Amino acid sequence: MREIAIVPLQEFEVPLEAENIRPDLFATLSLEEIRDLEVWEGNRKRVLSDLFSVADDDGTGECLIRLDGDFSRVKRIGEGMREGKILVRGNVGMRAGSGMHGGSMQIEGDAGDWLGREMRGGSINVKGNAGNYVGSRYWGERCGMRGGEIKIEGSAGAYLGDHICGGRIVVKGDAGDFPGASNRGGAITIGGDAHLPGAEMVSGAIVVKGRARVLPSYGFQETAEIEGKLLWKFVGDLVEKGKGELYVALVEDDGQLDK
Amino acid sequence: MIIKGGIVYDPTNGIFGEEMDIFLDGGKVVEEAKGEEIDAQGLLVMPGGVDAHTHIAGTKVNTGRIMRPEDARSGLEPKTKILRPCTGYTVPNCYAIGYRYARMGYTTVFEAATPILEARHTHEELEEIPIVDKGALTLFGSNWEVLECVRDGDLDKLAAYVAWGLRASRGYGVKVVNPGGGEAWGFGGNVKGLDDPVPNFDTTPREIIRGLVKANEMLNLPHSVHLHTNNLGKPGNYTTALETLDIVKDIAPTRDRQVLHVTHMQFSSYGGTGWRDFKSEAPQIAEYFNRNDHVTMDMGQLIFGNATTMTADAPLEYSNARLLHAKWSNHDIELEESSGVVPLVYGRKMPINAIQWAIGLELALLTESPWKTLLTTDHPNGGPFVNYPEVITLLMSGAKREEEMATLHELVAKRTVLPTIEREMDWGDIAVMTRAAPAKVLGLAEKGHLGVGADADVTVYDLRPEKIDPARDHKRVKEALGRVKYTIKGGEVVVRDGEIVAVPRGRTYWVDASVPEKDAERVQADLVDKFDKYYSIQKSNYMVQDAYVTNPVVVKAGVI
Ligand SMILES: [Zn+2]
Repeated sequence: MREIAIVPLQEFEVPLEAENIRPDLFATLSLEEIRDLEVWEGNRKRVLSDLFSVADDDGTGECLIRLDGDFSRVKRIGEGMREGKILVRGNVGMRAGSGMHGGSMQIEGDAGDWLGREMRGGSINVKGNAGNYVGSRYWGERCGMRGGEIKIEGSAGAYLGDHICGGRIVVKGDAGDFPGASNRGGAITIGGDAHLPGAEMVSGAIVVKGRARVLPSYGFQETAEIEGKLLWKFVGDLVEKGKGELYVALVEDDGQLDK
Repeated sequence: MIIKGGIVYDPTNGIFGEEMDIFLDGGKVVEEAKGEEIDAQGLLVMPGGVDAHTHIAGTKVNTGRIMRPEDARSGLEPKTKILRPCTGYTVPNCYAIGYRYARMGYTTVFEAATPILEARHTHEELEEIPIVDKGALTLFGSNWEVLECVRDGDLDKLAAYVAWGLRASRGYGVKVVNPGGGEAWGFGGNVKGLDDPVPNFDTTPREIIRGLVKANEMLNLPHSVHLHTNNLGKPGNYTTALETLDIVKDIAPTRDRQVLHVTHMQFSSYGGTGWRDFKSEAPQIAEYFNRNDHVTMDMGQLIFGNATTMTADAPLEYSNARLLHAKWSNHDIELEESSGVVPLVYGRKMPINAIQWAIGLELALLTESPWKTLLTTDHPNGGPFVNYPEVITLLMSGAKREEEMATLHELVAKRTVLPTIEREMDWGDIAVMTRAAPAKVLGLAEKGHLGVGADADVTVYDLRPEKIDPARDHKRVKEALGRVKYTIKGGEVVVRDGEIVAVPRGRTYWVDASVPEKDAERVQADLVDKFDKYYSIQKSNYMVQDAYVTNPVVVKAGVI
């Protein structure tokens, strides 16, 4: 294992675009070359060593990037990575692990919006909370996440797994509005509450172990036991002639639901 | 400026591959000139390219951009000292449109569909498209005033309204899309053939087409009527296309050009009774063109990959969206049109798409005269205009066509005759289809050729026509067509070695046609009533002001 340790030299006032912080890229470079990698600070072009201290333990084999400190204004960490590991002892900014194909990312703090956007493979674990659009699509695209796994120990924001087409997202806490919208084959499990899950879902599954309001375009089917818990099972979204499965423990009912 | 020693193709002036010098001065081609010398020794030289049908400005283009944020992920080019940043592939931003046309050697491009009501937006975007000269065709095919004049057989009033509509939209010519269909769509319907009545107007597509063609010729407009046929995009529609071509045969053009231009013919050359037995009827269409001289067409060639369809044929877009389960935008343009936008992907292994691809090429290759078939992709309906080099190499190389066909669904060999076509076009044919013919079809006397008095728009390709065989070296040819050695626009070098080096502002053509006062007055009386009762805006706010067309070329036409 080769470990590269990165620590911010300052508090960042404007967001950084740091898509070069990825282990499969670092693995091919010397420490000097890593220090010279391009980073944009707002509209100014910098190199990594202008903004961070970068240390190399000169190990061999798989590359681990250790990020120590507050990276909440550092965007695109691990974007597109195919192998290796990233360990963040702090928060990360937007788009961490977006377009990720393989490898793993462990975030001990919180993650920003668009975590694992359009992810294809690999795994992301977040100890804290994550922002909006976890595992989602880019605006306008047909598919968000297609593979891999995202686990969030805390809660997630709105549009969790928007347009997800495959892969798995597990949130231990709550999810915001519209989780799993336009789901086309992904699996989403929410430990807490959610609001209006599965809008325009065509296929795949969404499990809400807490309370959720269910769209009137879902049809109630039966009760089902999942992981020892009795849940209501719905199928939809019928607006899209969908066959997606939605399981909810406590249904917020406004009297419109035909169940 | 002198462009020295190029191998010149200037079909309008009967020049096909002669080594000669071209002299430019004051923005024009002249007999003799001094100044900067451009070394074009042995290189392929043509007039600047002319695109007579593309969708580059206006509300539907912008709707496409709004619907497709994902399109802006491709085609990213950062700003430079002289260039603004670029985005997009099927719906690029305004700057990218100008730069990309210029890099391919194009200097004149015409937006093909603008409703009068939304023409101000079209011009706001045209103003921002750099380098190239521009113009916009105005939509008339489902306009209430037009339908009423046609119903009443009042050709004088129709001509007066067309003249006013062109002035109001600062438009260059008469565009007709699925005549009557835009009105029928207001009621969720469509017109299904030339004699299907338009709801509430007691007229038919046949009468609309004939009426507008006659009015167009009464006004002596530089361009003919520019028609998107009824039933476009539907299996079996070639009969509608053939019938349409025939119903204007008896009308004489008042200028030396076609009496009707049928656009993106690929979409109107379909056989079969449905999608299952869908096949090409391009040979029948091409045969009609080989036997008749009163009409022209453009290809509307399909390009595999992403496209964004956008048209005033709103019912067509509704069926596209339903068939493909795609994003759909629908738009009602009050008394004038309806329209739609649907993004889609053309797939090589999709039998319908593979056949459509072949049809465009069949039309061009089976029509003997290149003067009758302009090269277009109906950007971005058939595919983005940046693929013109691909289309040119397909026309010039049988080997390239075979390579491509090998990657397509096998039905392309059964439902089209493309595999049997041996014709390989030469540089003369290409110069006609991309320069001389589009300029002639549009009626732009100073464009598309290099005779004395022509605009000083010239393309120098990094290709030696005497040394390269486009049939064999199609890869090299395609590369050179996409990144020209020089583009000269209005006498100024704008592209050198594939890079933009100057960004002048282009001009906008529009037609100001005069009509007898009494007819103009009758039109105004009708319009006062229509604006009072139906339009959402005041008549005084309707006409595009000069402030929106700051670099105009006003072409005079008309009855008097
Ligand atoms: Zn078009």
